[in-house]
Amino acid sequence: MLGNVLLTIGLLGGLFSVVMYFLTYKGYTNTLGKARIGFHIASSMTVIASLVLVWSILTHQYQHLYIFKYSGSGLSTGLLFSTFWGGQEGSFLLWTFFTAIIGIILLDYTSKRGDLEPRVMMVFGLSLSFLLFLVSPLLKSPFNYIWLTDTFIDIKLINQQFLSLPFIEQFFFSDDQTNTNFIKMGSELYGHLVANGISINEFIIDGKGLNPLLQNFWMQIHPPILFIGFAMSAVPFAFAIAALLKNDYKEWVRQSFPWMLAGTMVLGLAIMLGGYWAYGVLGWGGYWGWDPVENSSLIPWIVGVAAIHTLIIQRKTQSKNSDGRFVKTNLILSMLVYVLVLYSTFLTRSGVLGDSSVHSFAEPGMLVYLLLVVFMVTFLLIGAIGFVVRWKTLSIEFEQDESVLSKELALFTGAVTLLAAAIIVIAGTSAPIFGNAVEIRFYNELNLPIAIIIGLLNGLSLILKWKANKGKDVLQKLLIPVVVTLLLSAVIIFAGKVFSVMLILLTFSAVFTAVVNFEITYKIVRKRPSFIGGYVAHLGIALFMLGVIATGNFSEETMVDLEKGKSKNVLGYDLTFVDFNPIENGSKYSFNVEVATADKNSKSIVSPVMFVSPFDGSLMRNPDIWTMFTKDYYITPVSYSDGTKENTSEGEKVTLNKGESKEYKGNKITFNKFNFPKDAMNSMMGGGSFEIGIELTVNAYGKTYNVEPKIKGKDKQQEYIPVEINELDLKINVEKLDAAGSVNLVLSSLTKQTEKIAAAPKEVLTIEASVKPFINLIWLGVIVVVVGFMISIFRRLRDT
Amino acid sequence: MKSKYMFGVIIIAVFMGIMGYLFTQTSISYEENFSIVKTSTKTIKATGSWVKEKNYIIDKDKRQFSFFAVDYLGNEMKVIYNGTIPNNFESATSVVVTGKYQDGSFHADDILTKCPSKYEETFEASSKS
Repeated sequence: MLGNVLLTIGLLGGLFSVVMYFLTYKGYTNTLGKARIGFHIASSMTVIASLVLVWSILTHQYQHLYIFKYSGSGLSTGLLFSTFWGGQEGSFLLWTFFTAIIGIILLDYTSKRGDLEPRVMMVFGLSLSFLLFLVSPLLKSPFNYIWLTDTFIDIKLINQQFLSLPFIEQFFFSDDQTNTNFIKMGSELYGHLVANGISINEFIIDGKGLNPLLQNFWMQIHPPILFIGFAMSAVPFAFAIAALLKNDYKEWVRQSFPWMLAGTMVLGLAIMLGGYWAYGVLGWGGYWGWDPVENSSLIPWIVGVAAIHTLIIQRKTQSKNSDGRFVKTNLILSMLVYVLVLYSTFLTRSGVLGDSSVHSFAEPGMLVYLLLVVFMVTFLLIGAIGFVVRWKTLSIEFEQDESVLSKELALFTGAVTLLAAAIIVIAGTSAPIFGNAVEIRFYNELNLPIAIIIGLLNGLSLILKWKANKGKDVLQKLLIPVVVTLLLSAVIIFAGKVFSVMLILLTFSAVFTAVVNFEITYKIVRKRPSFIGGYVAHLGIALFMLGVIATGNFSEETMVDLEKGKSKNVLGYDLTFVDFNPIENGSKYSFNVEVATADKNSKSIVSPVMFVSPFDGSLMRNPDIWTMFTKDYYITPVSYSDGTKENTSEGEKVTLNKGESKEYKGNKITFNKFNFPKDAMNSMMGGGSFEIGIELTVNAYGKTYNVEPKIKGKDKQQEYIPVEINELDLKINVEKLDAAGSVNLVLSSLTKQTEKIAAAPKEVLTIEASVKPFINLIWLGVIVVVVGFMISIFRRLRDT
Repeated sequence: MKSKYMFGVIIIAVFMGIMGYLFTQTSISYEENFSIVKTSTKTIKATGSWVKEKNYIIDKDKRQFSFFAVDYLGNEMKVIYNGTIPNNFESATSVVVTGKYQDGSFHADDILTKCPSKYEETFEASSKS
């Protein structure tokens, strides 16, 4: 209740502040103070509401549907915190929370810079208000009570002492398929409970718990950082609109730039933290899978990076009587970043990606779907209308000397190339909206040449001077870097056996970027250390690209059985399954595998984990990694068998009447009739030998097999003769027959039987092992990029 | 100036052309009816659910994971996946397999298991009705 009240007050405060800021912009003088109060109400209410949710989670207030659905009493404190954003409602609130925090900082920043505040905060306040509306009690509030909608609660989560109450019976449901019993929680049951003086919190004693895929450290940091990035992306949008409102395009570039840098840095870091999560914990085996949800946050990031480069050009080309070049491009790109963040939210939250993404969120309902569309379209329209209204000023062409060999043009071409990459990802990611999807190679094949071009352009643009360059000078400056690059690339290509043309080009391009940036960083680091940010970031990108080449093409993987105590050479390393032991109070099992180099000089214990999740009863497999300097040895557990329980199944027994069919493992088996020779009857009666056939038809994969298992009788002894169909891995034996026209058959698998003979009791761990060369370059690259960004932000903040 | 724009337009046209071509080449359609899946030779994303009565098989030698999937009409088909069994497979209510139908079985390059959270919703829906 409290949370919903706070959020509603916050929403009203936000809307009030937008109106007041608008009036201030229109020239009223007495409204600025009110606008600030309104904004502070909106943001502080959001912050308090978030604290209330944290408190409610920590104290297990299961009367809130959200907490019941995503939290549980058995979770550690760290994980309890992460249930805050375990579901849709909470993650919307988290986004709102960070928007509020960023808003307070932005208010302070803009209030110190002339008349910027009303224009910027008006737009930013609108964005905050939209989010507050999204988490309002009518839509996606995490504070809504559990009895407002009908919810089926597993009786295990209900206090047993109340189950005997007489009125409970009518709310009892059971699901025969899964053998679980539910209590239907709704307003009716709530009424009964209240009448009996039972509080919901006594009645429901535990929540459903958190999805085991989310129960790890990365869940605790990836979503918050992603939402900080989302929240920050609204800032350059607000600055761009502010510039359009004032019809002045000079100042905003400088003021907005550090925000653009910071937002892009945070978003990029969040994306790669997600990548590490997928690699190190979820066991996807890689850091990037072109999953639509991953892609949807990559798109605004790429556009943000493009914007950074064109913003630099505008800054550099500004003079007393010129706004600089690429005014329109910068406005569009700055606004586009936020619109794409909203588009990303729409894609991931509206359910349109349902069948195509691992992250599939449940459908949120038509209302939220529409609101997300309205949210996106509103901000798109605000930008577009502002642009059209100011077209007269914007369309003025500035006089400039055009030179093909200029840093401006190289940077601009680089930005355009980045946009091409963004368009590719948008096209592939949006395909599910039209009931389609694309193969992974769509992204890989198209982005590979783009990466090559970007690397080359990056190196070149740094060698070029602003405005114009003489061809001769450029060639001279290029000479040493190109020679060094050729030498280094040759070493990499031959040492690593890179023999595909595109990869050779990509290697050259990445090394070229690395060489040029390293050279410049080295030259200026002592004289002007605050200027190295950009070069360091590019160096990081170069390392990242080299890491992609190495892991993308030279990773090896295989699946093997490891017998306990016996060592086996797998992908060049000796693997020994040592033992397994229970961890975390016996809820999980850690399987210890010793991985040693062939010469035994270096070894490590790798401990992948398997457990049956109490959340949904599924078997979870978490990989473990031996991280070496040049490679990762990556082990995913597949299965474990202690040798005793194996192959106990003797096959399936079925009874068939004449003419009846049954399905068994994809084979349709029809019992046609008995093959009962006339003399067999007499012979049987007389105790002599006889033979009865059972005519069966087996249909599988479009083929028909006619088979006839038999019963032979001789000297009152009966013998069954089974049939085997090798192609279908099927063995059919007769167990009993009834003269009335039915037969009992035993159906089993051929391979399982042979396995059964071979399998002496032994402990076997099956794993999937892979070697990922130089994957560390990827993580190192990301860290270096972030450091570069930080240096740049520091420098650019000083010149606002 | 004119030639600059012409150049830009040509580049964009070429880029869009290549992208459009690859898009059609790599596009995968969704199919919920297995009888259609079985007659198609294209890569398809087929949605169905695992037939629990017919156990899945992990073939370690071939590095294959196979199981039987059934569509909403009750059509069954064998799915063979070269790789490890995905997390959550046992509890998944529906699976989306991407691949081609060949020689009597569906050869999947990718298996996507659907979150059980969705199942809760459907259970609620079916119970209500």
